[in-house]
Amino acid sequence: MASATAAAQVDNAAVPILRLEGMTKSFDMGKPNETEVLHGIDLVLKKGEFAALIGPSGSGKSTLLNIIGLLDRPTGGKLFIDGHDTASLDDAALTKLRGRTIGFVFQAHYLLSAFTALENVMMPTMLERGHCDDAMRETAKELLEKVGLTKWRDNLSSNMSGGQQQRVAIARALALQPSLILADEPTGNLDTQSTQSVFELMRQVGVTSGTTFLLVTHNLSLSKRCDRIIELLDGRVVADQATPPAAVAQATQTGEVVNE
Amino acid sequence: MNNLLPFEWIAAIRFLREGRLQSLFIISGVAIGVAVIVFMSALLTGLQANLFKRVLSSQPHITLERPKPIATPQRKSEPGQSVLSTVQKPTQRLSSVDQWQKIRDEMHSRTDVLAVSPTVTGPAFAVRGDASQAISLTGIDAEQYVKIVPLPEKIIAGTFRMNNTDMLVGTQLADDLGVQLGDKLRVATAAGRNLTLTIVGIFDFGNRGANQRTVYVALSTAQNLLNLIGGVSSIDLTAVEPFQAEVVAQSIAASTGLNAVSWIASNSQLFVALNAQTLSSQVIRLFVALSVAAGIASVLVVSVVQKRKEIGILRAMGGTRGQILRVFLIQGAIVGLLGSLLGSMMATAMVSLWETIAKNPDGTPMFVIDVNVNLYFWAALIATITGLAAAATPAVRAARLDPVAAIRG
Repeated sequence: MASATAAAQVDNAAVPILRLEGMTKSFDMGKPNETEVLHGIDLVLKKGEFAALIGPSGSGKSTLLNIIGLLDRPTGGKLFIDGHDTASLDDAALTKLRGRTIGFVFQAHYLLSAFTALENVMMPTMLERGHCDDAMRETAKELLEKVGLTKWRDNLSSNMSGGQQQRVAIARALALQPSLILADEPTGNLDTQSTQSVFELMRQVGVTSGTTFLLVTHNLSLSKRCDRIIELLDGRVVADQATPPAAVAQATQTGEVVNE
Repeated sequence: MNNLLPFEWIAAIRFLREGRLQSLFIISGVAIGVAVIVFMSALLTGLQANLFKRVLSSQPHITLERPKPIATPQRKSEPGQSVLSTVQKPTQRLSSVDQWQKIRDEMHSRTDVLAVSPTVTGPAFAVRGDASQAISLTGIDAEQYVKIVPLPEKIIAGTFRMNNTDMLVGTQLADDLGVQLGDKLRVATAAGRNLTLTIVGIFDFGNRGANQRTVYVALSTAQNLLNLIGGVSSIDLTAVEPFQAEVVAQSIAASTGLNAVSWIASNSQLFVALNAQTLSSQVIRLFVALSVAAGIASVLVVSVVQKRKEIGILRAMGGTRGQILRVFLIQGAIVGLLGSLLGSMMATAMVSLWETIAKNPDGTPMFVIDVNVNLYFWAALIATITGLAAAATPAVRAARLDPVAAIRG
């Protein structure tokens, strides 16, 4: 698997999916309690990369992820997604770009409890097209097969276990074949076994589809199994290094996953 | 999921089904509100229609009479002079409407007038032996007059027939004079004429005064008795729109120079009372509608709060503000529509119940409540619009939700 990942990286090394230049974010702008939480972040993610974003609570990980996910706007600096300068886009254009380019997997999976697993996976496509069709249904079935949930596809999401729900969320994130998947503590609520299988699934998807992953995690053992570790401290990138393929392979072989 | 339904409809229906109990309560609330409004409207319409029917079925919509003569002083003041004069009102003698045939034809040609009937009305005495009773003698052209007042419907004994020696009397007069069908009565007038006529029918207007005073005879008989040969004292009209009678009357008065008195002017007290009744019922209906709207809005506000995270995730997945807005607006409309359908059924049941309870001593319904199909249509339309309007605030709130804040909770 390590060699396949390396090959994907080489093939796509020149294509940046995400580029941040001197990005800052402040809250309560213009008020006496104005606080800058991200200070001049520079970051490039290339196609097919599987990167971990680590850092203590309050270091700005979620804020950074929201900005990259186009859910929030930066205060300063530049953000390019798939070559688009996002500063010039209005709210509707951002929503469209977000829907087409970015998939989300959250700690709390936020499936729509009124819909079945299959329907949840169809949701992003349905939002984009405004209605559902048979082709969309077939694609969603394939995605659920990929995450190993064929048998549970007609279950309401509220009747599934945490691990199963997170798998549905991953399948849903893949529905529109996004270039980038942002996963905010995707295994934070799962037991060790589910953490292992969900992580493996994401890794596998990354390799087979060439999708870029940015994984926010507190789990050091998981981060060691990513190709790259970006460390954030007090709103600054303090470390950004590639994990040697040999180390990734070793961590994977020992199955070193501990819920921390 | 249905391929034909847009996403917004699917989501709205699923959200309503998910909060089943909540949806059921609010739809019931809307239904009760709609039922009260439909029932009240039907009851009031039935009540007023019944009242109008009773009033209108015993009098013409408009009566045209010759203008009353006005007395003027014989000597007028010259410049620099002042004349004190006493002017007595002239006695109102019975006189004919000038060129009444021409006016009758003019009235026939008007599009806002349905029926025209010349009549001769004057005071007389009905005498039987030693007993006599003051009456209002009305000479009618039977064929025309039935289009003004449906007399045949009022006949409780005998037939509606108007030959020269026939007369129709009210129940009270028959009772007072101790006469019955086939008996003869002498009718005497101040003009010194008298005729003996046969009672061919006894009517009941449901009004003691009218049943005691009014006596119908043929037009020529009345002309003869009241010394108004070839003339008529008034022309009775039926307007196409009974509630426009006053406007029509004024227009006729302006064009003919006659006195035109509408039933609205002669029953002004009744109208004041009915208007007050209509107004109070409208106020009640408005407040019921407002409380229904407030109910829908409050349930949807709670739903938006409950679904904050789901709305956030829909937005994160590419859902537009417009899509989120429509999901909640449609929920409001569905609640309004379903509530109104259920409410209409409840109203129909309430009307049936009312008809079994509210009966006259003889077992006939007190009055007929006619629930118009239009009423259901309007109730459904207004309830749906109310649902949409009530959903507007929560829907806008949902659409404006910042996805980041929503997901963070």
